[in-house]
Amino acid sequence: MTLWKINAEPGRTMTWFLSWFLFASGIALYVYTAHKRHLENPDDKVVPTFRQLTDGFYNAAFKPEADENSGPGLWQRISGSMLFHDTVASGRRFFIAFALLFPAAVLGLHIGVFPYIGAFFLRFILFFDKIIALSVLPILFIAFGIDELSKIMLIVIGVTPTIILDSFNLSKGVPKEQIVKGFTLGAGNFDIAYLVMLKQIFPRILNSIRINLKSVALFLFAGEMIASDDGLAYRIALMRRHMGMDTIIPYVLWVALLLFLVDLTMRFLNRRLHPWFREI
Amino acid sequence: MTMKLKFAALLTLSLALAGRAPAADKPSFTVGWSIYVGWNPYHYMGKSGILKKWADKYGVSIKVQRFDYAPSLEAFVAKSIDACTMTNMEALDMPAAAGVDTTAVILGDYSNGNDAVLVRNGLTFDKLAGKKVMLVQKTVSEYLFERGMAMSGAKDQIKWVKLVNTSDSDIAPAFLNNPDEEAVVTWKPLVSQIRKGKGITTIFTSAQIPGEILDLLVIRTEVLHRPGGQNFAKAMTGAWYETMSQLSGTGPAKEKALRGTAEASEDTLDSIKEQLATTNLFYTPQSAMQFLGSAELKQKMDLVRQFCFTHGLLGEGTRAADDVAILYPDGAVQGKKDRVRLRFDPSYTQLAVQGTL
Repeated sequence: MTLWKINAEPGRTMTWFLSWFLFASGIALYVYTAHKRHLENPDDKVVPTFRQLTDGFYNAAFKPEADENSGPGLWQRISGSMLFHDTVASGRRFFIAFALLFPAAVLGLHIGVFPYIGAFFLRFILFFDKIIALSVLPILFIAFGIDELSKIMLIVIGVTPTIILDSFNLSKGVPKEQIVKGFTLGAGNFDIAYLVMLKQIFPRILNSIRINLKSVALFLFAGEMIASDDGLAYRIALMRRHMGMDTIIPYVLWVALLLFLVDLTMRFLNRRLHPWFREI
Repeated sequence: MTMKLKFAALLTLSLALAGRAPAADKPSFTVGWSIYVGWNPYHYMGKSGILKKWADKYGVSIKVQRFDYAPSLEAFVAKSIDACTMTNMEALDMPAAAGVDTTAVILGDYSNGNDAVLVRNGLTFDKLAGKKVMLVQKTVSEYLFERGMAMSGAKDQIKWVKLVNTSDSDIAPAFLNNPDEEAVVTWKPLVSQIRKGKGITTIFTSAQIPGEILDLLVIRTEVLHRPGGQNFAKAMTGAWYETMSQLSGTGPAKEKALRGTAEASEDTLDSIKEQLATTNLFYTPQSAMQFLGSAELKQKMDLVRQFCFTHGLLGEGTRAADDVAILYPDGAVQGKKDRVRLRFDPSYTQLAVQGTL
């Protein structure tokens, strides 16, 4: 059977069909369940129909939240909407935390390259990496308050150790011979660190950050669900209180789309910046 | 043994176990409860054998399971459990608003000081505009807060207060350790813990709105019509009032009941006594009957349903509060007659009053 042939070459239509099959069956199963549940109970909120979902999305994305910012134009309606407001609030937290991952990667490089720095940081970070960030929440609240800072710190504490250790490992993976060769050719210490090592591990660092995007989102959500007054996860937590699945499901899909887009952009940038890198 | 044989043995064993589960064809029911002083007795009821005694009497088997509050509501709406403890507000905005016809079988208590608004720096309701208030949004906490604002004549300032939705598992340390936070709304035992902090005062409690935050045991109406459903409700009611009479009685039985109630939430005996002091338990079926039959119930439920509606808790598609109608013990309906979703059924309590359970 061709199914088990490593050398098989499925045709275009076949590939298209196979790759969309699970999506289509998932949607079909959903629509069927929603239909069945609504026949039994017309007010069912657990599995909203397609119609309710689009209504929910429309209300969230195209209706001004408060009357005072309502305007006639489409843009005013979008920028005054709940979804826009929440996306901006969550996006801000996400990108601040995201930006803080780059210094972490550089720290990891330094730990790997300079033995004194390594001696100072490595053992502590290995320990710190094993601390479950969510379990120290009360301490975070004492140290950073309950506003923006504690949410960003939760992400930082949760994700940066992984990034530091990963970029440390990557820098250890660079062959010793290259360092020796660099020195023979007259390079200085920082030339070796930044131009020889960072240069070649950077695409892998980007990849490692990419893979950790979901952890970033996870900690962001945890933080917003615990204490906040805006954000995508705040809305989901609030809607859960009265089974607002007609809003929750569009929100979940919207978050998935946003994460996918960030991931896609990073992949694209990585290709553009490092055309020689072929491991993606 | 070869793998295949092992597998076959395992399969037979699991089939045998599965086949044994429904004990002697008795209809079986599951009750979900969550930690709250007015619901902790369900834990004691299950553990002490009181529930088993009543279940046997009515030929049903009843399982009691503890949940966190929000998941218990979700499980009830999703029909994975048959009965659940909840407040009148959640009974209305969770199952009833989701079209799950719900019957309140036991009127357990009302919060008589368990929920409170606490502030720092001697703030008052009229000074809260522009300030932050920590609470679990869209719950009785927000209801209590708005009632407090309204009763102090600051109703039009509600929209200027910044509500910070804070999970109840973290609200006490988050408020106590951040002197910048000036107001919080929560419930006991967290309230007692927060109150001990320096410079914190209580400006409003549920004792000022008695009978508005009711704690109920609800059963899906459809379950009552199932074989054994009526017996299930009767057994629950009988066991509940037996537990109540122990709790309000004297001597070692009371001590035991108190201990069981405290154990449910791993509270100390002193702490549970302090919580019970601000809980208006309907210890006798007579007292519950009296409240069920009063005009007060309708007035208070009306406040609650208007709150739910104006906060969108009845769902996006609900155009009027009347779309989720409530049936009262005297047959009166609040809302559209063809859309009754929440029923206060006094018949089981009535049986308890007559002593014919």
